Amino acid sequence: MCKGGGANLRSLFHATMLKTKLAALLLFCSFVCGAVASDETVTRQKLVQAILSSGDEQQKLLSELADDNSKIVHDTLLSWTRDEIYLCETANGGAKIPVLLEEQQDAEGKARAIRIDDGKYLADEKGAELHFDSSDLNTLDTDMRLRSAVQQTLDLLALADPNRDARRDVVQKLGKSQKKQYLPVLQARLGKETDAGVKKAIFVAVATINLGDADPSAKIAAINQLAKLNSIGSLDDLQRAANSQNADVAKSAEAAIKSINGYLSAVNFFGTIFRGISLGSILLVVALGLAITFGLMGIINMAHGEMIAIGAYTCYFVESVFGTGFTFRIVMPFSIGGHAPGFGATIPGLHASGWFYETYFLFAIPLSFVMAALAGLALERTVIQFLYRRPLESLLATWGVSLILQQCFRLVFGANNVQVNSPRWLLGNFTLNDVILGYNRLFVIAFAVLIVIGTWLLLTKTPLGLLIRAVMQNRNMAACMGVRTARVNMLTFAFGSGLAGLAGAFLSQIGNVGPSLGQSYIVDSFMTVVVGGVGNIVGCIYSALGIGTADQVLQQVFGSPVVGKITVLICIILFLQWKPSGLFAARSRSLEG
Amino acid sequence: MKRKTELLAVAIVAILVIVILPLLNASGIVSNFTINLYGKYLSYAVLAISVDLLWGYTGLLSLGQCLFFTLGGYMMGMYLMRMIGNLGQYHMAIPDFLVFLGWNTLPTFWKPFASFPFALMMVVLLPGLLALVFGFLAFRSRIRGVYFSILTQALTYGACLLFFRNNLLMGGNNGFTDFKLLLQQDLRLPATQRMLYISTGILLLLTYCFCRWLTKTKFGKVQRAIRDSENRVLFSGYAAANFKLFVFVASAIIAALGGALYTPQVGIINPSEMATDKSLEAVVWVAVGGRGTLVGPIVGAIFVNTLKSWATRAYPDYWLIILGGMFLLVVLFLPKGIVGLISDCGGWIAEKFKTTPVVPDLKQTPDADSLPNPQPAIRNP
Repeated sequence: MCKGGGANLRSLFHATMLKTKLAALLLFCSFVCGAVASDETVTRQKLVQAILSSGDEQQKLLSELADDNSKIVHDTLLSWTRDEIYLCETANGGAKIPVLLEEQQDAEGKARAIRIDDGKYLADEKGAELHFDSSDLNTLDTDMRLRSAVQQTLDLLALADPNRDARRDVVQKLGKSQKKQYLPVLQARLGKETDAGVKKAIFVAVATINLGDADPSAKIAAINQLAKLNSIGSLDDLQRAANSQNADVAKSAEAAIKSINGYLSAVNFFGTIFRGISLGSILLVVALGLAITFGLMGIINMAHGEMIAIGAYTCYFVESVFGTGFTFRIVMPFSIGGHAPGFGATIPGLHASGWFYETYFLFAIPLSFVMAALAGLALERTVIQFLYRRPLESLLATWGVSLILQQCFRLVFGANNVQVNSPRWLLGNFTLNDVILGYNRLFVIAFAVLIVIGTWLLLTKTPLGLLIRAVMQNRNMAACMGVRTARVNMLTFAFGSGLAGLAGAFLSQIGNVGPSLGQSYIVDSFMTVVVGGVGNIVGCIYSALGIGTADQVLQQVFGSPVVGKITVLICIILFLQWKPSGLFAARSRSLEG
Repeated sequence: MKRKTELLAVAIVAILVIVILPLLNASGIVSNFTINLYGKYLSYAVLAISVDLLWGYTGLLSLGQCLFFTLGGYMMGMYLMRMIGNLGQYHMAIPDFLVFLGWNTLPTFWKPFASFPFALMMVVLLPGLLALVFGFLAFRSRIRGVYFSILTQALTYGACLLFFRNNLLMGGNNGFTDFKLLLQQDLRLPATQRMLYISTGILLLLTYCFCRWLTKTKFGKVQRAIRDSENRVLFSGYAAANFKLFVFVASAIIAALGGALYTPQVGIINPSEMATDKSLEAVVWVAVGGRGTLVGPIVGAIFVNTLKSWATRAYPDYWLIILGGMFLLVVLFLPKGIVGLISDCGGWIAEKFKTTPVVPDLKQTPDADSLPNPQPAIRNP
């Protein structure tokens, strides 16, 4: 007799809406999966058999289930290990029906039961669905042996997971357990496995299991195997082996640790170089903009960092618009008639999802260039054009602008950092000989290369580039030849600022975006320009990559980012003693300054 | 005639600030808070003069003056930390933050700071030496103009990062605070604060007199010549680098002395004081007050800081916009600052009433040599 089987009318009524929806869904599913339906029935029958049987037969049935890589098996077994499978004894005949309780509960904390044999809701004779409280039902009895059998089946299922990262995790877990019983499973999988990374993981796992062997010679073989595989993850296990009583084992383990440590430092080194190059690429894009404006106009733009922030916030804005929308409100600091005036705007979100949402970054990149370029244009027209002959004052005025912009960011976007969700295609990474290469950093490097080529083409192959170079070399002469220098200045400044905006777009993918984002890059990028030689793009490339890499390498060497940074600064100051006008100084017969 | 009026004006203001105001405070008319606040402003004014000596008179825009100011403050802070003795939270003979970092004994370099003369010597020596080394390297390789500004900014940035580290054993993020005694006097007593205020006033007066004297000598002439056209100075046979080095070191020491008096009055010194922003803020004071004059920086420091005290309370969200906007306006429209504006108005009135013929003042042309042709470079492609 089912306890609590009297399904009350209220909950029945309550569930009607959901039921119709579910019915439609089930209909749809059965329609689409018509071909697989028969397979599914067989699987479900097998599951029920496995649940209801006992002893050796149960073990056998469970191991058969391991060959069936379907979601139902996985989910049901998982619920089994969590004691979420219940047995319902029907009134007529006393047959036991294994069920799962639905997660959604009604007002009384009761839930409908899903039959494992056909996936439908358990109903009474009249077809009314029954609702149960979990305490009303008998939990399926399990013991240690059964649990481990179920768990093993789950592991085997996971070994056949279509996702290679999931497969690798399982392999590593099995290896770490050091249980001999997994050896045949792993060997079997090795035959079917196609992915090289997972294969290596299986080799490591097998060796790790063998490391737990009592026989010293097997141990030593396993240790040598691990050393050959350069398995960084096995260092702890090897350390344990090195402490063992057996002198031979300890000796070979120590040798293995040494060899793996050597490999590890090589991996770290290349990882550092990679991060250094990606940092250098961002620095390059930032400094390229500075090099152009500084080289052309002799203007030090302290607000260049805020152009980076504009680019980054544009990214955030575009992401918000693709997502849930964007709202801001600014309240004026004074009140008129007891009412503080303010303004604000709400941009409704597109609530995009899937691939459409992932493309937001493709829209954000050009937009961040345009926004930063427009801001640069406005800055040039309103402030900088009056200060061309006073470089020191331009530094100070643009610092004023930078303060104003920073505060505006705080007012519009809030004082806290905001997070920009990266599109999924930038999130992952791939591992090359244990060196982790993030897609976002690779993307930054590739894009920096594109930008450098683009800038070079613009400067050397276009009419605008010709004018820019002419003004750069001799402003007065260019003006005499009819070049509208004011216009060239304006466009160049906008272009330089736009490059900063692009850098901001990349930075938003690597870290959080805050109002003072630009400040942390501005000192570095000025250094880059000065070291590279003002107005020289090749010098800028060398110095950006050099400073970026030196920064990362020294961070590793000193084990502290701050000491690394300070050392870089000191090196730069000393470098300028040797080459005061940078790596590639513009040769000139005139007096400087 | 003009000189005499100036002397008279300075004497009157000095007596007002150094004698009358403390007397009023002692008799209870001026509050302790006000005295403390003005003491802070006066030490800022010392810093502003040091910026002006470099920027206004020598054409070197240093963005590192706050570093020297804070270093001076730190040296004084070390003495004050030693004077806490075992009155700290942990009742140990060493400063609290060292206890917190797991030290039981005093690190060696902390030991001599129990002596006030030694601390005072370090206030002068450390910033002076740093300025000497950095200035020697920078001026030797003829780093000038904006390059000098960028390099000093980088130096300050690096030092700021360094002082944020706990491993430096200089208090890390929190710096030094919770001072108790200065020369056996309780720092919290109004009388001590009053004495500190008077000392700061005297320091400011001395700094003013020193700079006044320096800029009137032949040395001062060379200084301004470097500002207006360094190449001509070089061609005339002067070793411009030595002149610049002297001014750089002198202004670093002046700033450090200001910082040393700032710390006991404010009661805290931490690395955020040497952030690059602060140096730029000090430049704002000079620009607003009027660069190339000695009264300008003092007026600017007091004016901008009074404004800041008010605005950060009244409009906390808009203070940075006010500061940035003010700076923008001053650079664009008031290159001579408040003092220049007043003297211009004076000149205008004088012309209007035709009492005396207007003598054209020495024009502040910072980059006279770059005026006719800013980029004369003929560069090889």
